Amino acid sequence: MEVGLLMLVGGVAAGLFGSLLGLGGGLLIVPLLTLGFGLPLRESVGVSLVCVIVTSSASAGIFLQRRQADLRLGMTLELFTAMGAIAGGLFAFLLDERVLAALFAGLLVYVAVTMARASTAAGSTTQNADRPAGPPYRRLPAAIVGSVGAGVFSALLGVGGGTVKVPVMHLLMGIPLRVATATSNLMIGITASASAFVYLIRGGIDVYAVGPTAVGVFIGATIGSRFGGRVHVRVLRLLFVVVLLFTAFEMARRAAFGA
Amino acid sequence: MNERLEPALARVLQVGTYVSMGLVALGTLLFIAGGGSPLDGGPVLDLARFPADLAAGRPTAILWLGVLGTLLTPGLRVVGAMVGFARAGEWRMVGIAVAIIAVVGVGIVAGLVTG
Repeated sequence: MEVGLLMLVGGVAAGLFGSLLGLGGGLLIVPLLTLGFGLPLRESVGVSLVCVIVTSSASAGIFLQRRQADLRLGMTLELFTAMGAIAGGLFAFLLDERVLAALFAGLLVYVAVTMARASTAAGSTTQNADRPAGPPYRRLPAAIVGSVGAGVFSALLGVGGGTVKVPVMHLLMGIPLRVATATSNLMIGITASASAFVYLIRGGIDVYAVGPTAVGVFIGATIGSRFGGRVHVRVLRLLFVVVLLFTAFEMARRAAFGA
Repeated sequence: MNERLEPALARVLQVGTYVSMGLVALGTLLFIAGGGSPLDGGPVLDLARFPADLAAGRPTAILWLGVLGTLLTPGLRVVGAMVGFARAGEWRMVGIAVAIIAVVGVGIVAGLVTG
């Protein structure tokens, strides 16, 4: 009973943080389950993929209703993220867990540094348009390559891959940041479900661990999306950077010395 | 494009998520009430036994149904988009939707073959 409640609370925190900061919950769910509850890393990734689909579907529904997500662009790119995700899902079962832990630690440091820089530059990111302009799209071939990479990355580490997709669309294709974020959210569902089916078939999803964690993430993400506007994101972002760096250290230690 | 397509797809995602999470929550409550722990190590999905377990109201089967619903919801959105684009005569987008479904199908087959 206590373990279930702790997982639920951890899921709520991951969903809340993820929603307030525009990240999927995967960045926190994998370390929470691995470091906090002792689940094998690969199973934590499987559970995280299910949670990532939950947050993506819930938020993408809102973005589609507001017409912020570019459905055509999202579907075009998700075809390639899905291809990458299947390759990543199959490859994940061949990799040593310590290699996965090292990759995850690297990802956490990257996100922490990116967020810290965004915090210090707060106010300079006044992104403009929040409606998709539609086709034609600039640099689509390069974005397709980036999308395949985002899919591999998502499947290996159990994250949404927004840390790759959003920069690809925003910086490479010139899509407004809000539209890129909304479209990335839309794409995450198919990206994660493509690899989640591979995990499911290969016994990589622990359904008992999914239960409380996914429900918690769903509750946290719902609260975050309703009250996000009232929270001082800058302070939260700095706190999150500290949490990410600490988690990265723990994952790196696991990579170096094993469980 | 049909103006109603995006709100309709939004509803597919929202209803799919709420129903799936309701099933996951119900399965989890029944499982924990029966003395189970999330750290017990969940069983692999056994498709041969799944319908009978579900008919018997077993918590694990209810949990699996919720997880399957979660995994299928984004695919339902793609199917819905395919229908919407077909009605609007946007055949390039219909082709992309078909390709996405085919890729996910290939993933399932690849998982079965290599699993």
